[in-house]
Amino acid sequence: MIRTEIRLAGSGGQGLILGMHILFRALGLEGKHAAQSQSYEPTSRGGFCYSDVIVTGNAADYPLVTHLDMMAGLSQTGVDRSIGLVKPGGLVIVDERLVPEPPKSGVRLLTLPIMARAVEVGSPRIANIIALGALVGLSGLCTRHSLEEAVRRETPKKFADLNLTAVAEGFALASAGTGLAHGDGAARPPHVVRADA
Amino acid sequence: MNEMVRTLEPFEIKDYLRLQLMPHFMCPGCGHGIALRALLWAVHELAIDKNKLAIVSGIGCSGRVGAYIDANTFHTTHGRPLAFATGLKLARPDLTVVVITGDGDCLAIGGNHLIHACRRNLDLTCLMLNNEVYGMTGGQVSPTTSANRLTTTTPGGNAEPTFDACKLAEAAGASFVGREVTRQAMALKNVIRDGIAHPGFSFIEAISDCTEIYGRKNDLGESPEMILSQKSDMRPEAFGNVADEPFRPNRLVTGILAKQARPEYGAAYRDYAVRVKSKPGRPR
Amino acid sequence: MSHAPTALHGNHACALGAIAAGCRFFAGYPITPSSEVAEHMSRELPHVDGTFIQMEDEIASLAACIGASLGGVKTMTATSGPGFSLMQENLGYAAMTETPCVIINVMRGGPSTGMPTRPAQGDIMQARWGTHGDHPVIVVAPASVQEVYTQTIRAFNLAEEFRTPVIVLYDEIVAHLMETVSLPAKGKAEVKDRKWATGAEVGFMPYAETDDLVPVMSRPGDGHRVHVTGLTHTPDGFPTQKPELADRALRRLVDKIELNRDRIDEVEEIETADADILVVAVGIVARAARRAVEMLRAEGVKAGLLRPVTLWPFPEAQVRNAAERASVIVVPEMNTGQLSLEIERLAGRGKRIRTIHRIDGEPIGPDEIAQTIREA
Repeated sequence: MIRTEIRLAGSGGQGLILGMHILFRALGLEGKHAAQSQSYEPTSRGGFCYSDVIVTGNAADYPLVTHLDMMAGLSQTGVDRSIGLVKPGGLVIVDERLVPEPPKSGVRLLTLPIMARAVEVGSPRIANIIALGALVGLSGLCTRHSLEEAVRRETPKKFADLNLTAVAEGFALASAGTGLAHGDGAARPPHVVRADA
Repeated sequence: MNEMVRTLEPFEIKDYLRLQLMPHFMCPGCGHGIALRALLWAVHELAIDKNKLAIVSGIGCSGRVGAYIDANTFHTTHGRPLAFATGLKLARPDLTVVVITGDGDCLAIGGNHLIHACRRNLDLTCLMLNNEVYGMTGGQVSPTTSANRLTTTTPGGNAEPTFDACKLAEAAGASFVGREVTRQAMALKNVIRDGIAHPGFSFIEAISDCTEIYGRKNDLGESPEMILSQKSDMRPEAFGNVADEPFRPNRLVTGILAKQARPEYGAAYRDYAVRVKSKPGRPR
Repeated sequence: MSHAPTALHGNHACALGAIAAGCRFFAGYPITPSSEVAEHMSRELPHVDGTFIQMEDEIASLAACIGASLGGVKTMTATSGPGFSLMQENLGYAAMTETPCVIINVMRGGPSTGMPTRPAQGDIMQARWGTHGDHPVIVVAPASVQEVYTQTIRAFNLAEEFRTPVIVLYDEIVAHLMETVSLPAKGKAEVKDRKWATGAEVGFMPYAETDDLVPVMSRPGDGHRVHVTGLTHTPDGFPTQKPELADRALRRLVDKIELNRDRIDEVEEIETADADILVVAVGIVARAARRAVEMLRAEGVKAGLLRPVTLWPFPEAQVRNAAERASVIVVPEMNTGQLSLEIERLAGRGKRIRTIHRIDGEPIGPDEIAQTIREA
């Protein structure tokens, strides 16, 4: 397995860490070795926060980010402070409202109405899962089935339906944004989506 | 406990002491020896097996008293004996755990541990020997040093107010609070005995004397004078011999000052564990 | 040996390791980034007839652990820098009274409140020298979630075997890192217990000088009625200030670790046999160093990594050996120079030492180490 580095960046309270727990779990369901880490500020809400997953073939491998293959950003600060780590041509998904000034060049950028969809289908709290769904949809990190199963295992029962709706929204955004989303989760590298915002 | 009917051997203090450590280190006239005797007498009356008795003490003159007791004795760090005792008692509910501490150990450096021990109400007995001074370190002011008294760190007389340790303990939740003076050894023994027998946290203040350092510095006389002055500080009705001393107004109230039935924490935790264990779906 | 792999955080693995090692008492106080250890212990302990208590501070937490351990139970507490500072008083007491206990210190940015949610390695020296006076201590430094589990068990075993406090030292990253670990089946972890005194109720010497310098312990209630004190004491447990007796007592404390190093030392060596450039690192930084070594080997550079797993006592012989073969030693660490002091002491004259120090709350990555090696 080629080492792949993925980040969800934003601010505290957006469920970024939970989002990456779900991805970690989904990868685990497929027998893939991964490590999940995060950085947050002392307050429970607000502040720069991110959560990373490293997919690797070697359990002893360095478990932290060195060069991001892809990221999703849910705050301007989250994007600004992570963008330097993204590999040239790496995939960057940002929310159209929360990240008013997306990176201008050097990455494959996709601006999506993540928060708008979250509010419309239920709650701003599911923006994390929509972003994750979009990332997985675009990248084929794991199958949609694995992601949904991981959502069921990692989130409270009473929110399962809402979170599964969020996964569907994420995949829909990915597919609408590109027409190339890997709904079946085939392990293909992320495609070029839009050259600019 | 007074109505308890039991045939007891007469109390012989040597049965409870580590005689190989004699002579002891306490100064002539020190009240701590009286408190030690009262404690051992109480242990005897309660027929506690020495092997099942744990004495946990802190640092200072009071902290050294425990070593003379022929039991499981733990001489711990300054101010912390209640915290050590909390761990010991939770791990070993079968032991009778008595903490011996002093006014500095218990109320200054250990004050936080005291109030939380009172709040938890674990079945411990805390015997605080109050001699109003840091004797071991040479006579510095303590949280119970009376107003205007001279110590090595209050050369112009103590200007700080004092703690009433019993009120503090009661307010913090101790389910048994008592106070006695070493002048009344029998009464002290009784209140210690009742405190140990009480299921829950018992706080007992024993008014002791430091004659060598504190007494001398403040011209309080030798041991007999200091002990008599304890008496004059007390409620006359506690003695029944009002006429023989010029009593000062009711400064010191003695006896069992507070007693209430509250859940004992060790048992409460064990009940909690049973409830948790019986719930299906253990979290992982 | 192992059953299905489980995804765990470092702090969760720590708690499960403790339970597997036989820990049945935990006293602690909330502090970032170690609180999850306490949270998991509070859930696990009732199920194994153990006791969890949240104390009023870290001083009381370690005191309660020592009290419970003296009562005969395996105990643990967990904390981070500020709380670890408060524990130093009773850490010394545990060392002096030879009371087994395990202290988890999850390092965060310091000094003082510092950066509570950021990693650091600023407690390497505090773990060794934090309490006053010469004292024995063992410190283990896991670098992965799997190792947090196995080293927590090992910490208990060492504490029991040598009657000493053992510190498990890792940082915020390892604490909150989620990795897949293999746990041994229930009851299958190798667990050691302290030696208990039996019989001989009269004349029992609680601190007798045994062959391996570790005295047997008396369990309260078994009839020995022992005295335990933080004062310097003779084999009978009672205080002494006689110079020759004090010297003998304190030397045994230090010697019981030094003379038993073959049972205590543990290092991991990667490609050190022919290494011209030797990296010495601990914890998460060692994992970055490992990747840097792999990168450089691919470039044809003879780099190697030596990682102390038992951090204290410091693996002096192992470091000397590897250092002898290398021409340059690189020491990356998340502090301004603690591990490097030991390396400078051991490397020998004229050896070139390159250090990397970060105190900004960010980990040292593989690229940074690789670049230093290339420039070395």
